[in-house]
Amino acid sequence: MEKFNITLYRFDPSCDDKPRLQSYDIESDGPLSVLQAIRNVYHKVDGTLSFRNSDCRRGVCGICSMMINGRRQLTCMCLATDGMTVEPPPNRTIVKDLVFETD
Amino acid sequence: MIDRTIETDVLVIGGGGGGLRAAVAAHDAGARVLVLSKGIVGKSGLTQTAVTGFQVAFGYADPRDNPEIHYGDTIRGGYGLADPELARIFCDEAIAAVEDIESFGARFDREEDGKLIQRKLDSSQTYPRSIKKGDSLGTPIMQALRREMNKRDVPRMHEMLVTKLLKDGDRVCGAIALDFQKGQIVEIRAGAIIMATGGAGELFPVHSNTPDSTGDGYALALNAGADLVDIEFLLMLGHAVLHPATVRGVLFTFQYLLTKGAKPLFNSEGEPFLSNYDPEGNDNPARHIYARAVYGEVREGRGSPHGGAFFDPGSVSHETLMDSLPSQTKYLEKFGVDMTQPIEVGAAAHYVCGGIKINTHSQSTVPGLFAVGECSGGPHGAGRIGGNSLTEILVFGKRAGSEAAAFANAQGAGAPNNDEVSAEARRVTSYLSRERIGPRPNEIKTRLQKLMNDYVGVVRNDEGLRNTIAEFERMEREDLPAMSMAEDNRVGNYDWVEALEVTAMIRFARAMAGAALLRTESRGAHYREDYPELDDKNWLQNIVIRHTGNEDTLAYETKECTPGPEYTAVLKEAG
Repeated sequence: MEKFNITLYRFDPSCDDKPRLQSYDIESDGPLSVLQAIRNVYHKVDGTLSFRNSDCRRGVCGICSMMINGRRQLTCMCLATDGMTVEPPPNRTIVKDLVFETD
Repeated sequence: MIDRTIETDVLVIGGGGGGLRAAVAAHDAGARVLVLSKGIVGKSGLTQTAVTGFQVAFGYADPRDNPEIHYGDTIRGGYGLADPELARIFCDEAIAAVEDIESFGARFDREEDGKLIQRKLDSSQTYPRSIKKGDSLGTPIMQALRREMNKRDVPRMHEMLVTKLLKDGDRVCGAIALDFQKGQIVEIRAGAIIMATGGAGELFPVHSNTPDSTGDGYALALNAGADLVDIEFLLMLGHAVLHPATVRGVLFTFQYLLTKGAKPLFNSEGEPFLSNYDPEGNDNPARHIYARAVYGEVREGRGSPHGGAFFDPGSVSHETLMDSLPSQTKYLEKFGVDMTQPIEVGAAAHYVCGGIKINTHSQSTVPGLFAVGECSGGPHGAGRIGGNSLTEILVFGKRAGSEAAAFANAQGAGAPNNDEVSAEARRVTSYLSRERIGPRPNEIKTRLQKLMNDYVGVVRNDEGLRNTIAEFERMEREDLPAMSMAEDNRVGNYDWVEALEVTAMIRFARAMAGAALLRTESRGAHYREDYPELDDKNWLQNIVIRHTGNEDTLAYETKECTPGPEYTAVLKEAG
C-alpha cells in the first residue's frame, strides 16, 4: 500500500471569499497518475470536490491540464508524488474547485 | 423547474468525431445546429484516441482490394448479422469519406509516390487496407473537424448531460439536459436529434474507452421508444495493457509488430497459444479471439499475475517500436513501463457492436431521432473488424447530418408535453433533496462493473446472466432509489452527473444481459460457454429490444437476417 499526501485547490465562488488549499491523505496499491489521485480523493475521501471526468486519460485531449507544483502539465500524464499541489491554470474563471470555464 | 430553454433545428448529442461530422453536414444543409457534449465539444469522446486503423479499400497496397472485398470482410467479421445495406453504404462511401476529411485538412501517411500507406491489422482483413497517421489517427481527424466547426461557427455547449429525449406523438421534439457548470436544468427544443453518444466501456472495470463512456445514448433512445439491435455483441479486446494501474486499459497494438519479427503473445509457461483458440488456426486471429484466448489461459492457470498474458516488446528493437508505435511506446515509458521486458496484456471492453437501430437514412425507429457511430446499430452485426469505426462515423456522420436537417426542415418544430418536461425536471432535481444516507453513485457503479466483468464480459452462461439480470432489477428497485450524493450543491457537482449516468447504465446493462441470455449460441463478440458453437440454423437472427409502454419492461424480438453470398461463401470455405 502506497500513501500519498496531495494538496488541492478549493474555491466555491458562490460562498467563499477566496480560494484555499486543502490537503488529503490517500492510499493506493500502486503508483497513480495525478488524475487518478484526484479521482481517488473524490470517491474515497471528499465528495464535495469538483473536478472534470470527460478526459481521454492518455495525453491527447488536454482537458485535464492543471498546475502541478506550479508547472502546467497534463494530470493524466504525470505520476502522483507525495506532497504535490494541484491547482487550476492561472487567469481562469473558476466554476468550482478544479473546474474552470472552458474557451 | 426548467432554468433555460433553447431552440434549434438539429440537436447533436455528443462532441466526438461522429457528432462533429454530423453537425458540419447539418449546418451545410442549411439547418441551425446545436452540439451538446457531456465533456468538451471537440475534445472529449473516443475518436481522438483512435490509434492505428481506418479501413478504406483504395487497393494501393494490393490492387486486388476494392469496396466489394471490404464489404465481404465486413459481413464475415459481423458473422452474417450486419445489415447488408448499411455495410454496403459504408464500404462504398469510404473512399469519398477520406477525400472529404482530407479536404477538411486532415493528412494521412503516404508512400513516396503520394499514395496512402495501407497496412493489415489482422486476419479479418483480406488485404492490407488500414490507412494511418503515425499511431495516432484520431488526432488529425478531430483537428480537421474542429476547424470546420469553427469556420462555420456552429453553436456548442460543453458539459451538458442529456437526461431525457422529449416527444411529440411518435416523433422527437427536444431534450432535457443538466448543465454541469451552471447547475441548471435546460430544455432544448429541436426539430431533429442526432445521437452521437459513443459507447459504454465504463460498464466494465477495464476498458479502452474514455471514462465518460457510460452508454447514456442507448438508455435515452430506449426510453424514447427506439429499437436497439445487436447489443449482446460487446467486443472485448485482448491487447490492452493490464499493469501498472496507471496505464490499465490502454491499447497497445502489438499486432503491427508481428510482421516485424515480434514474438507472439505467450502464457506464463512461455508458450504461444493464440492459434489454439482460433477455428482457422491463425496465430494472429481476429480481435475478439484474443480476449477469449487470454481468458482461457488464465482459467487454466497459465495467466499473468494481473489476469492476462505476456507480450515482449523487447523481442523487436527499440527503433522498430518507435517507428511503428511511437506514441504508445512513449506513453507507456512515461509511466515507467520497461519496454525491453515482457508486459502484461489482456481483456478490455472496447466496443458495443450494436446499438440504436438505424436505417439507410441513419434514422432510428423513432421519427426525427438519428444515430451515428458506436451508439448506432446495424452496420457491424456480431463483430466489428478493426478500423471500420472511423470509416463508419465519417460516412454515417455526413448522412445523419444532412438527413436530420431535411427532417427538421420538412417537419418543423414539435411541441413537447409540458407534464413530461416538468416530471423530468423533478426527477433530475430530486437527487438534490435526498438524505445523505444511501450509497454514492460510484459505489453502485463499482457493483455494476463487477457484475458485468464476471457474467456479461468475455465468457457468459445461462445461470450467470439470469442472476445478473435479477441483481440489476434489484439494484433498480432498491439501490437507485436509495442512492445519494456527497453534497447537494448544484454547480460542478459530479455526483449529480454520476447519479444520472448510473441510472442509465443499469438500464442498458440489463438490456445487454437480456439479449446475451436470449442468444443461445456463440457468435462473433458474444461467447456462451454453455452454447459454444455458432448456430446458423437457429440464430442467423438479430435481436431487437424495445420498451413496451411501461419504461421498466423490455421486449425482445428476433428478426431473420439474410446475409447473402459473402457470408455463405465463407461458411463453405470453412467446411
